[in-house]
Amino acid sequence: MLVTYPEAAHWPIDPDRLDLVEEFRRQPRGPHGDELQKLLHRLRWAGDPDQPGRYVLIVTQPGKEWMLGRLPRQRGKPIELMRNHVFTSIAEAEWEVFKLRWEAVTGRTLPPHLSEKLA
Amino acid sequence: MTDTTSVLGYAWPMVVSPGEDVAFHLSSPSLSKADAALVRVRCGDPDPAGPGIRVHEMDASFERTVPLVHQIIRPGSCAIVADAPALTSFQSFTVGAFLWPTMPGDRAQTVLSRWREDAQEGWRLGLDSDGHLEFVVAAGGRTWRVATAAALLSREWVLAGASWDAEAGRIAVMVRSADPQAGRDRSECVEAAGPTALEWPAEVPLVIAAHASDAEVFGGFYDGKIDRPRVHAGVQPIDGLHRLCESVSFPMADARLVAAWDFSREIGSDRVTDLSAHHLHGRLRQMPTRGMTGANWDGSTDRWTDCPTQYGAIHFHSDDMADAEWEPTVRFTVPAEWRSGFYALRLRAEAGDEPVESFVGFFVRAELGKPRSKLAFVASTGTFLAYANSALRLDQVHAEAMLEGVLTLSRDDVYIQEHREVGLSTYDTHADGSGWSISSARRPILNMRPRGNVFNYGNDTHFIDWLEETGQDYDVITDDDIHRHGVQVLAPYICVVTGSHPEYISREVWEAFDAYQRGGGRHMYLGGNGFYWRIAYHPTVPHTIEMRRGMTGLRTWEGEAGETALAFTGEPSSTWRSNGRPPQRLVGVGFDGQVFTHSSPYRWLDGAKDPALSWLTAGIDLAAPLGDFGLRGNGAAGVEIDRVDWSLGSPPGTVWLATADRLGYGGTPAPEEIRTLHRGVMGDQNAQVRADLVYFPTANGGAVFATGSIAWVCALSHAGYRNNVSQLTGNVLKRFLDPTPL
Repeated sequence: MLVTYPEAAHWPIDPDRLDLVEEFRRQPRGPHGDELQKLLHRLRWAGDPDQPGRYVLIVTQPGKEWMLGRLPRQRGKPIELMRNHVFTSIAEAEWEVFKLRWEAVTGRTLPPHLSEKLA
Repeated sequence: MTDTTSVLGYAWPMVVSPGEDVAFHLSSPSLSKADAALVRVRCGDPDPAGPGIRVHEMDASFERTVPLVHQIIRPGSCAIVADAPALTSFQSFTVGAFLWPTMPGDRAQTVLSRWREDAQEGWRLGLDSDGHLEFVVAAGGRTWRVATAAALLSREWVLAGASWDAEAGRIAVMVRSADPQAGRDRSECVEAAGPTALEWPAEVPLVIAAHASDAEVFGGFYDGKIDRPRVHAGVQPIDGLHRLCESVSFPMADARLVAAWDFSREIGSDRVTDLSAHHLHGRLRQMPTRGMTGANWDGSTDRWTDCPTQYGAIHFHSDDMADAEWEPTVRFTVPAEWRSGFYALRLRAEAGDEPVESFVGFFVRAELGKPRSKLAFVASTGTFLAYANSALRLDQVHAEAMLEGVLTLSRDDVYIQEHREVGLSTYDTHADGSGWSISSARRPILNMRPRGNVFNYGNDTHFIDWLEETGQDYDVITDDDIHRHGVQVLAPYICVVTGSHPEYISREVWEAFDAYQRGGGRHMYLGGNGFYWRIAYHPTVPHTIEMRRGMTGLRTWEGEAGETALAFTGEPSSTWRSNGRPPQRLVGVGFDGQVFTHSSPYRWLDGAKDPALSWLTAGIDLAAPLGDFGLRGNGAAGVEIDRVDWSLGSPPGTVWLATADRLGYGGTPAPEEIRTLHRGVMGDQNAQVRADLVYFPTANGGAVFATGSIAWVCALSHAGYRNNVSQLTGNVLKRFLDPTPL
């Protein structure tokens, strides 16, 4: 049986590389440089191992509004809807998820100028 | 947020002719009624950047308010052998089979039984909740149980059985590992006290891979393979059981042989055959996977048709689901004057804060031999079934990385995450990790309806929307009908269009398109990754397909060795490319990669500048990019893409019109495009990852036009439908509908 393992992505993340955070913030939907691509691959592949499920967006209004959720790793278990995290653009949602993941994987809080919502 | 799931349903049949009846099987756990209307679908994609949901309410004599009840879906496959005198005419007995369990220890599972769970009567052989083999006999309020000390291993063959010796008052379970080496040995025989006499329960079926929960419902479903199950009215030690299970014919029948099922007989059917003198044949429910390698498979062949006796296993799944078995809620006779098309039953209700709007998709076909247009659009029903209720994004680790962004899930996805009983798609794996190879339409299909997740069905409605916008008349025909009637379905049309993603193709459908081309037909293939996987339709059950992913192609699961042949027909499955028919041979281009970062425009090549093709490029600036816009990644070339390849059969007469070959790092090649591992294969470095636009004339004045991109049809509506993608599509369609030979 061919299996894909969530722990397979292991590009080492340097918590001091705030330049990559800034690059993502400038252009959440890309295109991204080589190192940011690797960082994103690790975050996206691993799927938030510190959380009860992978961060996902639920479409509340097609093309207009999305809600943050957590998708459990177990089939049949409901998706957790995070009703106080609602976004009106995908870029804004990507940035919020990126921040959550960066802080989880580095164990560091982002400095104030990088922790704000996307303008 | 629109509630799309509080009422769900399916139409049967899924494809209907004008004048025929269609039944809608509906269920709601919360609503007692809904307002119903029949609609013709023009655009099913709710994206506000495009045309949005556009459906036309039909003027039909129809009950506007439909009553709703909650109808349960009962997944889980098993074999059911009706009760017979031979099943109760003994006391001491032995049962057993070869097992390849896939979820031992997940929960209690029954392998072989004549057992009533509600009454706790009869006997059953199975796995307990920890994965130990257990045997239980019970009657009159007393129960005797024996189990192995060790749990069985997942995906390892064992001979597993049990016996009851009434004379000695003993019961036993026995396991013999097929591979007893290196920590895999689970061989053991355990005895315990048993009864000296039992009165068997009356009117209980013998069930393989489950047990009777009560008189109507089955439970205790087993996950894994079962090969050569046997029942013998005598006490056999494990050697005796082994001989019984190894035997595949019983010419000098032991009178005590009660049943010996041979699952390698009638593999394409739902029947299981008993080789004993009792003819205790059975029926399968919920279509488990057949034609699977048995414990005796030796690798000498990879197709069950070559050596059926090595394919005596059925892989049962506790989540197999081929028929929701819902009662029909309303019936409708499609008026004879209705045009063919994509249709749906729209159900609306007010419930709580959210409006309910849920569609049940179905198709009205142009009746065979009675075309009403020169143009036919093919509803890719084989592909719609292959993708039915896909949970790929919910279950597969790679989905977010592949799609290059946080997963955006719809209300339907939220439902499917919780309600796996609707049955998944051929992209998914069963709960035990094995591939989902069968898909049927006797169940709600959430992504084959307006508002559903847009891939194939939703994207294809953008082309319907464009036809309606441009005032072009057309018929709709379906893969299912082409499979059944062959080129007869295509032949009446001067031009046939296949949509954004006609990916799943049976041999019959492939050959119909080939014959159509040879006969002078004109084929517009406005998609990407078409004619890619080889599927079969069920020999008798309509709207039911099977596919095996095999060992190549862009596969979301990989089949087991030796299991790439289709059970429905015995044909090989996997990609058409590995079956000697790369898509390039039929439509000039074939799948080469995906790109989800963004889509791109094409740039025109010299081939398009031939004055003989001025009809094709009329009104188009060949210096400007073609399709630098669109609803899928802001370009007409993207998502899944195809290219010309002369070595894979692109016809020598192909005119290579345009290409999108600068796709950036998001361009990822298909696995079969890479011989060996090396760097530099992604789209930023690899010119073979691209979308190509081609045209070529065929026999008898026919022609093919292909765009090689899923994103194409989603660019048609840009700028009020006035754009070069729309112009080019219109130019080709206009010329293809002109009967003058090309």
